[in-house]
Amino acid sequence: MADGPYSIKEEEQARSQTEPPDVELVAHARQGDESAFEELFNRHRRRVSMIASRFFRQREQVEEIVQESFTKAYFALGDFSNEQDASFAAWISRIAYNSCYDELRRQKRRHESALTDVSEEDTTWLEENLRAEGAEGDVEGSAVARDLAEKLLARLSAEDRMVLVMLDAEGMSVSEIADVTGWSVSKVKVRAHRARASLRRVLKRFL
Amino acid sequence: MTGHKKEHGMNERLDRLGSKLVRAAARNEETGEAVASSSFLYTRLRARINSESARREERERWRALFGVVWRAVPAMALVALLAFVLFLSAAFTRSVESYSAEALFGERDAGVERVVFATDRQPLSSDDVLATILNDEERGNLR
Repeated sequence: MADGPYSIKEEEQARSQTEPPDVELVAHARQGDESAFEELFNRHRRRVSMIASRFFRQREQVEEIVQESFTKAYFALGDFSNEQDASFAAWISRIAYNSCYDELRRQKRRHESALTDVSEEDTTWLEENLRAEGAEGDVEGSAVARDLAEKLLARLSAEDRMVLVMLDAEGMSVSEIADVTGWSVSKVKVRAHRARASLRRVLKRFL
Repeated sequence: MTGHKKEHGMNERLDRLGSKLVRAAARNEETGEAVASSSFLYTRLRARINSESARREERERWRALFGVVWRAVPAMALVALLAFVLFLSAAFTRSVESYSAEALFGERDAGVERVVFATDRQPLSSDDVLATILNDEERGNLR
């Protein structure tokens, strides 16, 4: 799983060898040691925040995901088994991705975004970028692109959006996505194919 | 053939643009960093855990109560059924004893008095009633 520009792995390596490992903290937290859970939270809060920020723009939304993920983790500490999972980090990441997925589905149920959301200016921008596709500009960095991308992605289903972000933004492999979502590898492949087709359809509507 | 190729090429370009847009939408590290480093995040989490814990306890209590009720319903139904059967059998026995054909249409007298005094095991006969009335009249005359 790609760590992106922020390096959580480095952070983990920098952690002193004398500090207790996550498994030990989980064991203490299970016995009601609040400080152990706080330590786990402090170690992994950044990871969860980064995952949430891939899917949500608003700070409140990101914080909501962080809180929901750690609350779920707190009540599910008994289910955590170091033998089953690679690490607590992988376990909490899985919880975070699932929380994001749930929130995306809730959002989708709450409001279907209207087609009028995309302005003429956005359409022009899209056309220009499609034409000048060969020339590498800072498409990803531009604010217009981010706004437009947000509007377009809001039209996709939660599953499609989830898969596309994991594939294109997180750089995860199909098997990693399958592991995180609990879907089969073939389901992820089919989902990815459909997601790309859906995004193409959405883009075509504005070109 | 050319049309198909053209469409394929267009799809590829759209896919590439789509990927760029997805990456653009996901480029939000500043917000992630801001949330991760925000103060009192753990305090807010702790409050949420506490409220969730209270909610779960409440739910557990209701579930336990529901479980007890669920188990008690068949037992209570059985007890009610038994009580009803007992009531019916007692009522039936009493009606047989109290309103027997002999009591109502006894050969010794009209049934009215016997019905009135049905609870007595030795009901008054018409002669007894007549004697009582006569005695009362005699007593009245003497006065």
